[in-house]
Order: sequence, then C-alpha cells, then structure tokens
Amino acid sequence: MNTLTIAWIGFPFFIGFIIYLMPKLDKYLAILGAIVSAAFAFQLFAMPSAVTLELLNNFSVTLLVDRLSGYFILTNALVTAAVVLYCWPTDKSAFFYAQILMVHGSLNAAFASTDFISLYVGLEVSGIAAFLLISYPRSDRSIWVALRYLFISNTAMLFYLIGAVLVYKASYSFSFAGLAKAPPEAIALIFMGLLVKGGVFVSGLWLPLTHSEAETPVSALLSGIVVKAGVYPLVRCALMVEEVAPIVQIFGVGAALMGVFYAIFEKDTKRMLAFSTISQLGWIVAVPEVGGFYALAHGLVKSALFLIAGALPSRNFQELKQKPIDTRIWIALVIASLSISGFPFLVGFGAKMLTMKSLLPWQAIAMNAAAVGTAIVFAKFIFLPRGGKAETKPGFWTAVLLLLAGLIAANAFYVEAYTLENMLKAIATIAVGWLAYFLIFQRTAIKLPRILEEFDHLVGFMSLIPLILFWMALSK
Amino acid sequence: MLEALVLATVFCGFFGIILKKNLIMKIVCMDVMSTGVIAYYVVVAARDGWLTPIIAKGKDVPYADPVPQAVILTAIVIGFSIQALMLVGVMKLARDNPTLESHEIEMNNTN
Repeated sequence: MNTLTIAWIGFPFFIGFIIYLMPKLDKYLAILGAIVSAAFAFQLFAMPSAVTLELLNNFSVTLLVDRLSGYFILTNALVTAAVVLYCWPTDKSAFFYAQILMVHGSLNAAFASTDFISLYVGLEVSGIAAFLLISYPRSDRSIWVALRYLFISNTAMLFYLIGAVLVYKASYSFSFAGLAKAPPEAIALIFMGLLVKGGVFVSGLWLPLTHSEAETPVSALLSGIVVKAGVYPLVRCALMVEEVAPIVQIFGVGAALMGVFYAIFEKDTKRMLAFSTISQLGWIVAVPEVGGFYALAHGLVKSALFLIAGALPSRNFQELKQKPIDTRIWIALVIASLSISGFPFLVGFGAKMLTMKSLLPWQAIAMNAAAVGTAIVFAKFIFLPRGGKAETKPGFWTAVLLLLAGLIAANAFYVEAYTLENMLKAIATIAVGWLAYFLIFQRTAIKLPRILEEFDHLVGFMSLIPLILFWMALSK
Repeated sequence: MLEALVLATVFCGFFGIILKKNLIMKIVCMDVMSTGVIAYYVVVAARDGWLTPIIAKGKDVPYADPVPQAVILTAIVIGFSIQALMLVGVMKLARDNPTLESHEIEMNNTN
C-alpha cells in the first residue's frame, strides 16, 4: 500500500507532463488520472486502518491517508472527471487538460499530507495551476481575476510559512501534531493562511468574484474541489490537535451564516453559488469528525450547479424569471438544489443529518438557521419558470448526469440517516425555508455592498483575522 | 535583534502591498515580504550555530540546522515562479491599462 500511495501521488503529474509530449491523447489521459484516483479512494474505504508514511527521517515529509482523505480524494476524482467530460467536445487545448491534471495531482498531494511543508507545496501548485486555468481565455478580465486570486493566496501563504517555521522552532518537526506545542502566534498565522486559501468566513470574500468570473467548467472545478484543499488541513488539524478544534468550529459556524446571508440577497446566479460555497465550507469545518462526507456531498452538488448555471439563458435572476428555462435543465437544477437543501434520497440529506447529529450544543441553533437559509437560497432556483427550449453544449449532459448519479449513489455511505424523524426534520427545514422565501425574500430588492470584496480590503482583512485568531489561540 | 529586523522586512512588504497603488509595486512589495520570510527561516536555522552542516573529522562545532534551509529552498522556487507568472499577467494587462493602477484595473474589469 505504501508504494501504491506514492505512485498514486506522482501519477497525475506524470501523465500531466505526458500530455505535453502526446497532445492528441489529452482528454483520455485526463480522464485516466481521475479514474485512478477514484479507484485509490475506494481502496482506502476498503482498508481497515490508515496508511501512514514517513519519508526521510522524522522531521520531514509525513503522509497519512485514511477514510477522511478518501472522501476528499473521491470528490476530487469525480469533479475532475465531470469537468473533463464537460470539456470533451470543446476545442480546449492540451495545455488546458494538462493544467487540470496538475490541479488534480496537487490537490491529491494536499489531501495526503500531514505536515505543513508538503501541504504548502500542494497548495501553491494548485494555486498556480488554478491561475492558469482561470486566465485560459486570455481576456483582460480573466487575467485580472486570476492575478487577484494568485496574489491573495500567495500573500496568505507567506504568513502561513512564518507560522510553519514557528511550529518547527517549538517542536523540531513540521508535522500537524506539532501544533499542540506551538505558540499562539504560530496557530494564528497558519490558520490565517488556510482560512484564506479555503475561503472560510470573511477571509473567503475573494471567492465570489473569482468563482463567478471564471469559465463554467473552471468555476465548477474551483468551487467543487480547489477550495477543499484549504479546508482539509483545517479539518485534519482539528482532529489531530484537540486544542485547536474550537477555533476551527467557531469559524465554521461564522462562515455558514455569513455565506448564506450574502447568498440570500444575491441577484446573480454564479455569485450566489459562490456565496453558498462559503456557507457550505463552513458546514464542513463546523463538525470536523464528519467533514469528509459533507465535502463529498458539497463537491458533487456544487460542481453540478455551476455547470447547470452555465447552461441557463441568463445570470440575472430577474431576467431568468421572465425567460422560461428548458424543462430538462430545470429538472437537473431541481435535483441539485434539493440535494444541497438536504432533501431525502439525495446525498445532501445524509450529509446534513450526520453533521446535525454531531453538532455541539452551542452550534445547533446557528446551524439550523443556516440550513433554513440554504433552503431559501435554493428556492430561488427551484421556483424558476420552466417550459422553454434551449440547446445545451454537447458535453453538458454526460458531466451533469455523472454528478447527479454520484449524488444518489453516495447515499450508500450513510444509509442510517433514513429514519422517519430525520426525514420529517429535513422536509420541515425545507418547508420553512420555502415559506420564508415566498413571504419575504422573493420580493426583497436589497443589494449588499461589494466594497469588502475589493482587492485592498481583502488584503486588509487578512491582517485583521490573525489578530482574532491570536486571541482565540491565546485563550484556549 | 535579527528577528526584529526580519519581521520589520515582512511588515514593510505587507504594508507596501496595501498602500502602493501600482500593480508592479505591489508585486515588488510581495517579493520584499517573501524575502523577509526566507530570511526568517535562515535565522531560525542558525539559532544553534551557523557553520555549514558538513560532517568533518575531529571538529565539534555548532552546525546550522539544515532542515529549514532545505525547506525554504522549495518556497524560494515556488515564490519565484509565482512572481514570474504574475509579471507576465501584468504585462498583458499593461496593454489596456498603461498606468497599472490596481484600483482602475479593478473598476474596469469587475463591473
């Protein structure tokens, strides 16, 4: 298994470079990379215990793969496969597929690492590859959005590096476990980097613009899986080092509420989905023990939603209310929206119920409010008029059907959720959300200011968050 | 003392990122910041000694810790490649936004 793990980490990079040598095989190699990762993830689910690897003595690279990373790896594989299928009939160049494999490989590496330096490398490589994917159209706008993304993530990662060396100073090791002995400033700096990279709470305000302005398949990739690379280490640290778990959980609840609040008032489909991503990332870190399953549910549904939103006739909700959308697209949209709202028979239900079950008492009210908020947000999609006719891109249906099938099949991971009580609770939550939507939010025309999303303010916030983190870490 | 100087470098870079208007200057400031971070790794490596860590017979001298140095090499390479990519992006942007003021570019490209 050890050799297999190392081979699996190297594989996407290897075939990614092969693509440059054999550009004709690009799509086939890209899909092969995704299939290999999916197979590896199932191998992990079948294994009784975790695989731990320590390379080159005890202070350098440590890897750990278990069921938690299995969920993230499976999400990565499915989302990558869907994106490749979506782009299959288009004339995207070999370069594009090579970059998809780079993102895929670096995220795999990030999901396997349990030391700060391997994680740093994984995160930075994924950032660079994501930059190249966002700027692929080569328009001014796409280059600016990509540049802004890379700039913010790199600045955050510089703070992260200072935190990493402080951990090393305290325990002569870069391993996540060293966080227990690290001074509070180390925790503050590292978490600040990860919160920015993972788009959690106010540090994630870079995310709406980046995810909404990228091309459809790239948005699906970014929102479905790239942000998870910042979230996974938060979850892993919270599980390995008990002292930091409350910090992660508080930020999770904050993000869940903030994201949903912005999403309710958003008038643009893709921006709304991006805000919903912030909220869902909060759900993942709010309960670290079950975060993996939630990440799988969210990755599948969010990439499906982004692909579907790309096939809608407009991005503006006001215009969409005037133009009926194609009934088949509408059905796909409703299935995905119901899953994310937590409707039974779709994986979102199992994930929400498992998370709800493991909530701490102080989190319960806030997270239930966030669940109702999610139902309100996605009521906007569900109650759009249907009946129109529209042509979809040729690769659209294969990709969306793969993701929707995943939404139903992934129920198998947690069938215990299907009790009468849980189902009633889920349906009641959605009913309350829809009622609120019809009575209040359908007609509201409040426009939230976007000033906090400006570049300078994003960097400014970056300096405020570690102060909060520092005091939290100090008082633990 | 050394640590204070290193931290001052990091903060100079960081405030430069916020306060400078020009995109090129922002990128240069980011480089200053990353220089500070790299220097901090070197300072941490040298806290027990500063001689090159090569084993030699009959010498028991305080060696520098090789691990942070090895690690920061990776970060230097990554930082350098990100810098290069960003500058290419800025070159492309400069064609339509010759002043390269980040606020202007943001106004032109996000609304």
